Amino acid sequence: MMTKRTETLKQRQDKRFINKETQTAAKYLRRVKELSGAPDGMEPFYNTLERIYVDMDYADSGTYSHTVGTYCVMTPPELIYAAGAMPVKLCSGNYTAFSVGDDIAPRDACPLVKAVAGFKQTGLMPVYEDCSLMVVPITCDCKKKIAGMLSDKCDLMTLHVPASRNDEDIEEFTAQLYDLIERLENATGNAITYESLSDAFRTVGYAQYELSEFIRLKKQMPYLIRGSHSMAILNAASYMTAADWGKALHRVNGSLKKRIAEKKTVTSKKLPRILLTGSPIVFPNVKIPLLIEETGGIVAGDETCMGERGMWDPAVITDNSFDGMMNALANRALRPCPCPTFADNSQRIYRIKQLIKENQIQGVIYHVLRGCLVYDFEYKRIEDELGKLGIPVIRLESDYNEEDIEQLRIRIEAFIELIKLKQEPEKITAARRSF
Amino acid sequence: MRSKKRIIITVLVCVGIAALAYFAWMIPFYIFETNDFNTSIEKLLSLDYLKTLVPLLIIIGLSALGIILIVLLRRMLAKRDKNFSRSANLRTGRAGGKAPKQKPAVFMIIRWIIMIAFAFMMIWGGLIFGLGMSSLSIPVLSCPWNTEQMTESSCYYLSHLNELFELPIGSILLFFISTLGFIFLLGRAICGFLCPVGLIQDIMDKIRKKTKTEGIKMNEKMYGALTPVKWFILLIFIGLCFAGGNFCNFCPAVAVSPILAGISTSLYVSGFLMVLVLMGSFFKRRAFCTVCPLGTIMGFFHKLSLFRVKKDCQSCTECGACYEACPMGIKMIYTEREKADVTHANCIMCGECVRCCPEDNALSLTFAGKKIYTSSRKKIMSGYEEVRNYYDDKKD
Repeated sequence: MMTKRTETLKQRQDKRFINKETQTAAKYLRRVKELSGAPDGMEPFYNTLERIYVDMDYADSGTYSHTVGTYCVMTPPELIYAAGAMPVKLCSGNYTAFSVGDDIAPRDACPLVKAVAGFKQTGLMPVYEDCSLMVVPITCDCKKKIAGMLSDKCDLMTLHVPASRNDEDIEEFTAQLYDLIERLENATGNAITYESLSDAFRTVGYAQYELSEFIRLKKQMPYLIRGSHSMAILNAASYMTAADWGKALHRVNGSLKKRIAEKKTVTSKKLPRILLTGSPIVFPNVKIPLLIEETGGIVAGDETCMGERGMWDPAVITDNSFDGMMNALANRALRPCPCPTFADNSQRIYRIKQLIKENQIQGVIYHVLRGCLVYDFEYKRIEDELGKLGIPVIRLESDYNEEDIEQLRIRIEAFIELIKLKQEPEKITAARRSF
Repeated sequence: MRSKKRIIITVLVCVGIAALAYFAWMIPFYIFETNDFNTSIEKLLSLDYLKTLVPLLIIIGLSALGIILIVLLRRMLAKRDKNFSRSANLRTGRAGGKAPKQKPAVFMIIRWIIMIAFAFMMIWGGLIFGLGMSSLSIPVLSCPWNTEQMTESSCYYLSHLNELFELPIGSILLFFISTLGFIFLLGRAICGFLCPVGLIQDIMDKIRKKTKTEGIKMNEKMYGALTPVKWFILLIFIGLCFAGGNFCNFCPAVAVSPILAGISTSLYVSGFLMVLVLMGSFFKRRAFCTVCPLGTIMGFFHKLSLFRVKKDCQSCTECGACYEACPMGIKMIYTEREKADVTHANCIMCGECVRCCPEDNALSLTFAGKKIYTSSRKKIMSGYEEVRNYYDDKKD
């Protein structure tokens, strides 16, 4: 009798979880879709996000027999494709899972990790359950502990991420990638060969090429596409094969090219151009880009690891032996990565300055997830550096819930108003004169 | 403790090199009965030519043997290694398939054509076109024992300074003017474009890439350890003549150019060194260039040369691909974030960094302010073009 009742309780909990989860995901997806000015060819990305979060289905792995879960940009997708598996990025932005994870993880842990813990606790998310192996680069303390928690439930491998990027660190990381080969081969049953690795380089390289085209087009005209839409595209990359994603992005690029030729933009107004940086923005936690664009700004660029930065740098093969390719992967994983886990991360400031120049940014929004210490540490330095350039910065701390939305809205609105005041002083003086 | 050990090893290596260089004439590699310095086109076509080629063939055979032995040894070690045993076959076995490779750049093709043409000129040029320019001196490691090369090579008089000052004043002036003129005009681009020893090393590297053999990766520490050795070799290069030695018995370049030109020169330590150079450059591109004394001298003037490597620090993402690609291990090229000019004393202008840079316009090679080779994402990704075409076709 007792067991039956607990079972039904569990079932009820699960049902409630699924209901809530699909509702929030559907709501945010709808809000992204409702934003004006989406380019043609967005459907595959919307469909993927819908499939994963609303329909709660497996990722469409196509011809790949397995999926391998990854966190962070340091896991080289090339190796996973070479093992005949599809990498799925499991960094989560789910509010419902967050509230479950809140009870398991300590209060000060970051919400992303709590959401991951929550999904694994409920065991209801197919993308998580389907993984043959999870690869967790240890980029912060939270990731280290979540790796321990997850390893009870599935096969898991940690990658030690060094604190600096010297030659020895790269060599050490390469050795770890060799270990990863072994783990991947065990998990998938497919051997990694020179041929399969080169093919994987081609697969990922194609997607990266389309991404670089996408960003190059975006740079040409500041109002070409809304940041929320580009965020949806880049978030969908986590759950699509590189080939499918590249193909879908190719269509979007085509429609963007057409827009440039016709000189069509998202809006005719001069919206303040905002750069979004800091902690990752993971669907469905897209409230900040949505709020920016709903209150009259536009996210013209982003420097987040689930966004443009994550897949930007290609692995350049400088030496075509197998070891050379492994080296290229290790090198790409560490050297260009502006993750604050590295002790000296001054290159992130250069990267932000570069984005500001290229995208004609007027203001920077620094997003910090509550408990994400490494990003919070870097805020001060970036504020100082941007102060020298005269670019306003605002630090927005948020959590995975909807309680802080109104507060965020007020702050974002004020920030955008501030930029608008800076932007059009001549208009105001002209009005006064006529008065 | 560790630094003490390093100093002792460095000193021992330097002393060993000095002893080898000084007693080079006592260690024969291959001795001809008579050293015949006369050559002609007829001789090149006769059977005698084969006789002069013998030492070169021995060198090639020995280095091939050495390379194969090293590859086998590495395979054995990799199989025994606890961590790598599983991927030992991946690393050392024969690899099928093709790694993505970008289309050859025009710059690279031109560089290879110039290198091959110049090496040809330095070996057989005098025989075919006469010795009209032989009073000009170019600072390349092409052996002056080959009396038939088109232009003089500065290395002989730089390593025999006592003989230089016995020459008539006009010759001394001409030597300095032409040598310095070339250094100012081209800088170490001479190493990357003209030097025949550089060509040999690049060919060895090409062979390695064709066979997909795993190379030896140098890191900062190893380059750091080589630096004192490099300076010491420069010291020997300049000072040996005053101590009564002859650098030519030690120099590896002797083993190629005169022999190919049909001049039978007896080889001493240089023969052994050439084997080492060939083996070294097989596993590490341009291994000899990292210690080349002539290159070090040219490096002093790197601020003056018309060839420059320029960097747009704004576009750089510090991905380190340029550093990975650089045969000379110049790290500054990827860490620099302020200056636009990243020409380093060790840079040989081979353009490899530009070829491997994935950012548009981030790196470029300039000559007299004009860009001659610029990096671009499109060029890097041209290796993936087949895939792109495949998807384009599928769409339509």
